[in-house]
Amino acid sequence: MAIIDDITALHKETLERIGAIGDSKELEAIRVEVVGKAGSLTGYLRSMGQVAKEHRAQIGKSVNLARNEIEAALEAKKAELSAREMEARIAASAVDVTLPGRSQQVGTRHLINAISDEISELFLGLGYTVLTGPEVETDWYNFTALNAPEDHPSRGLADTFYVKDNTGAETAVKGESAVLLRTQTSGVQVHAMEDRELPIYIIAPGKVYRRDVADPSHLPQFHQCEGLVIDKNITFGDLKGTLDYFCKQIFGPERKTRFRAHYFPFTEPSAEADVSCGVCGGTGHLHDGEKCRMCKGTGWIEILGCGMVDPNVLEMSGIDPEEYSGFAFGVGIERVACLKYNVPDLRMLLEGDMRFLRQF
Amino acid sequence: MLVSLKWLSDYVELPTDIKAMCDKFDLTGTGVEGVERTGDNLAGVVVGHVVACEPHPDSDHMHVTMVDVGADEPLQIVCGAPNMKLGIKTPVATIGTVMPEGFKIKKSKLRGVASCGMCCSKRELGMGADHEGIWILSDDAPIGTPIADYLKLSDTILDLEITPNRPDCLSMAGMAREVGAMYRVPVKYPERELVVDESLPAVDELATVTVEDAERCPRYTARVIKNVKVGPSPEWLAERVQAAGARSINNIVDVTNYILFLLGQPLHAFDYDKLVDGSGKANVVVRAAADGEKLVTLDEEERALTSDMTVIATPDKAVALAGVMGGFDSEVTEGTTTILLESATFECGRTSRTSRNLGLISESSLRYERGVDDNTCADFSAYAAALMAEVSGGSVCPGVIDVYGKKSEPVELELRVKRCQGMLGAPIPADEMQDILERLGCEVSATADADVLKVVAPTNRPDLEREIDLYEEVLRLYGMDRIPATLPGGRGRLGTRTEAQVKMDKINDTLRACGMNETMTYSFADPSDLERLRMPSEGLGIPVELLNPMTTDQSVMRQTIIPGLLRSVAHNQARGVKDIQLYETGTVFFGAEGKPQPREKQKLAGVLAGTMGNATWNHKPAEFDFFDGKGVVENLVRELCIQKVRYKALDAEDAPFLQPGRAAQVLAGGSILGWVGEIHPLAVQAFDAEAPVVAFELDIDALIKASQLSRPYVDVPVYPAVTIDQAFVVSEDVTAERMMQVISSAGGKLLDSVKLFDVYRDPLRVGVGKKSMAFALEYRAADRTLTAEEVEKQHTKLLTKVAKATGAEIRG
Repeated sequence: MAIIDDITALHKETLERIGAIGDSKELEAIRVEVVGKAGSLTGYLRSMGQVAKEHRAQIGKSVNLARNEIEAALEAKKAELSAREMEARIAASAVDVTLPGRSQQVGTRHLINAISDEISELFLGLGYTVLTGPEVETDWYNFTALNAPEDHPSRGLADTFYVKDNTGAETAVKGESAVLLRTQTSGVQVHAMEDRELPIYIIAPGKVYRRDVADPSHLPQFHQCEGLVIDKNITFGDLKGTLDYFCKQIFGPERKTRFRAHYFPFTEPSAEADVSCGVCGGTGHLHDGEKCRMCKGTGWIEILGCGMVDPNVLEMSGIDPEEYSGFAFGVGIERVACLKYNVPDLRMLLEGDMRFLRQF
Repeated sequence: MLVSLKWLSDYVELPTDIKAMCDKFDLTGTGVEGVERTGDNLAGVVVGHVVACEPHPDSDHMHVTMVDVGADEPLQIVCGAPNMKLGIKTPVATIGTVMPEGFKIKKSKLRGVASCGMCCSKRELGMGADHEGIWILSDDAPIGTPIADYLKLSDTILDLEITPNRPDCLSMAGMAREVGAMYRVPVKYPERELVVDESLPAVDELATVTVEDAERCPRYTARVIKNVKVGPSPEWLAERVQAAGARSINNIVDVTNYILFLLGQPLHAFDYDKLVDGSGKANVVVRAAADGEKLVTLDEEERALTSDMTVIATPDKAVALAGVMGGFDSEVTEGTTTILLESATFECGRTSRTSRNLGLISESSLRYERGVDDNTCADFSAYAAALMAEVSGGSVCPGVIDVYGKKSEPVELELRVKRCQGMLGAPIPADEMQDILERLGCEVSATADADVLKVVAPTNRPDLEREIDLYEEVLRLYGMDRIPATLPGGRGRLGTRTEAQVKMDKINDTLRACGMNETMTYSFADPSDLERLRMPSEGLGIPVELLNPMTTDQSVMRQTIIPGLLRSVAHNQARGVKDIQLYETGTVFFGAEGKPQPREKQKLAGVLAGTMGNATWNHKPAEFDFFDGKGVVENLVRELCIQKVRYKALDAEDAPFLQPGRAAQVLAGGSILGWVGEIHPLAVQAFDAEAPVVAFELDIDALIKASQLSRPYVDVPVYPAVTIDQAFVVSEDVTAERMMQVISSAGGKLLDSVKLFDVYRDPLRVGVGKKSMAFALEYRAADRTLTAEEVEKQHTKLLTKVAKATGAEIRG
């Protein structure tokens, strides 16, 4: 029967054409041409009405066989082609992974505040609260209540910026004033002792001012973090232990501390604390025997002032020194920054140079 | 204070290990700021003996010599000095010596003859101007001895930091006591017997002293030394005074300085004859200066005095500024033959104020303002008078005038041993405490209570006035290193941040997430900053003025952070850094008349210039404009959960420092948070920066007040939304804010969100003076899927209302 032969031929030819195809568009074209609505194979089914009844079953069977096989071949080919095409696409879209990524720039924290945060975090962990206070202070909070009354020689240690007193009040020494830029954040401690319930465990980070010409190692404005503890049975050993922990946390567990007797009006006994030099490991000299320049050969680097809170200070703030004792300390943040990062010139901290700021 | 160890060793035996001693000084409270060895620069120069001297074969003035320097063989040295001759002793710089002027002695040939060293002149050793010939030493100079040792130049000078509470350490005797206490070694305090010439008139026949106010001058003693011959000091005296850092002036003045350095007692030597008045006596009055009174001090400066200052006067006029400096007119000169020697004490506070008021700090004022012991005034004066007579050939008149109005008594203290141990945190034995205090000059005795020691502090230790002061002495000499390190026990305590601190952290985190870099600028400002910035001063109070600024451009406290940031922008731009994102949080200061302290406000300010980061291979960032600044503010208020934020256009009158049309006030409800905008190009220029600079300045307190720690949870939508993109053509004066308001209210409950996604202008297609604004409108119900009809109905309603309210033309 001629029609069966035609179908068989179409069947065979289509399978061969499918086998030879390498492109999914062509494949689709064949599908439309052969098994689509108006396709050549579909045409046989459409024209079934003109076929003699007795042949219909046979022709129908041939067409269905052809269609099933062709559709299966189309599917298989389609899968094969799309896999191949995906591979090709993947191959074509490979990038140089060393090219820079695409990102939103993230900003940076200023070095001084980053260190201040680190210190605050450390003392929060020890159960301290962080307090702040005004930068323009009265001489009461900056000096007098800290046991440095008027004309006390220790006042001369801090080169104070005096502020014009808008009340018109006069001072005994011309050019001085009862209003000033705080030379230390200790004033915050006095406010705390006056205002807070005992026991007190606080730190007070902040900006302070001293009349120094800005140069690589001095700034007229810098930062301090002061700490104050008032509780029952606080000892000098507690002061040592706390600051030893502080130094190890900030500078590294291998660092040692030592305490040297010193004088501050606010504390009695007073001390300065040194941390062992990180450059020479506390030996004072380098491997080649050269004197260590970081610590000037001493093996130690001065890091903070501290002491047991003077009973006068406690009394002035209404705390009974027979019942309570405490310790206080003050550390220069710029000093810590310099020791940790070897910042060669402190003025860089205030210039806002993007190339400096974005390093931290 | 400079301390010569050679001098100090006269009174106490010093350890051989100087470095260890310096460490010990450091640990016990005397900071060692410098250690200088004198004589070190003469290392290699030794005493040589010329054992042969022949004329140089090739020179008419040089000699070829053999010099014995104590080595196995004498050195052959060629010398051109005219005074070279056989048998003399002279300093010889051996091979390898680096001369004070810096050149190194090498083996050399002079006109063909080898020379193995150099005979030196005084000038070549840096010891004077004499360069006529080599320095001929005395015949008994031991051959081979280092010249520094022979001349006794070898000394170690310590530069010590004496803390203000330790006036007793401002003397050799005081430092000797410290060393004695540190090393448990005996101290031999300097003493000198005073021999008076009984043939001379007694001092009260020659002078009277009146002290008007014992508060100002607790004790004033005077002695008279006659027949002095003012001249150069003997070498030992000059050397000592110089070792302490003073200039040698003459024998009389040097003695006063010597005693000051040795014993810590400031003295003043007057030319007695210049004090004598018509009565034939020197009538000395210690009194308050009159306001406006003038005195020419020793440094030949005329000083205007105030009544707070104390003067030493004759009935006619002031002759010295008490405790600070002598007067020029009564100065000891070459012609002086009689000395009136003052040894007194003056009140600390007034001395300090006088010194500060006149900007005049002297060795005397330094000691008086810290406290000089009145108990030893007269004894030290006797020591000085005896020495003065000795070095000047004079004689001391019998007697002393001693006006002792206010005596300081030794302080008697109780030391509770257990309490001391408790506070220091170590079981320091009572007998060790006692030993330490006794070594420092305290008298310690037991009391009926075994736990309590009675301690009498010496009067030269004004810092030992309370029990706690004794603890400090015990601690520093016991050794802080011996106290075990512990942590406070205490009861429960919590380290918590305040809400404001938590919010502050959030502010900083958000700004960093926006790509902003935190910086810091000076709190100081130039008085002209506001004007340069074109910022009105209304509402910023009066500037806080510094009385003693470092420079005029840093003479007030800032009222805004922006000038500092603009300077940083200029700093970056001048260095080729064009992409700048900076912010600062800090204090600004608003002064007020009649108030001592200004109001301090915390501000947050930021500047953006250039682009966000560099252009990269796959990303070309756009130049910053107003909307980048606003974007930062928007992120901030979102993160701080601030509700009802509005941006209100600021015109040129409101904010002349901002570019009109690109400036907005930021409000939350009724309160002003700050502003954001592009800085006016003229203001940018005034700070040497390049425009455009986008900036914002916000009030941190207002931000924190308006912010919430969190916002309430809203259900995530379950049912789908129908989104309609809708454009409206409106006239230019209809703001986005207005459109949002109208659309939101017209959309009813079903309008879930409105987002502006396009603004388009085209004179032809949109019309002149008009703009097309396209919004994405999302309709949604929380409880069902909306039908097309529902959305259609609501949207039509919305279009009508928006058109009516804004005159908008609806575009398909």
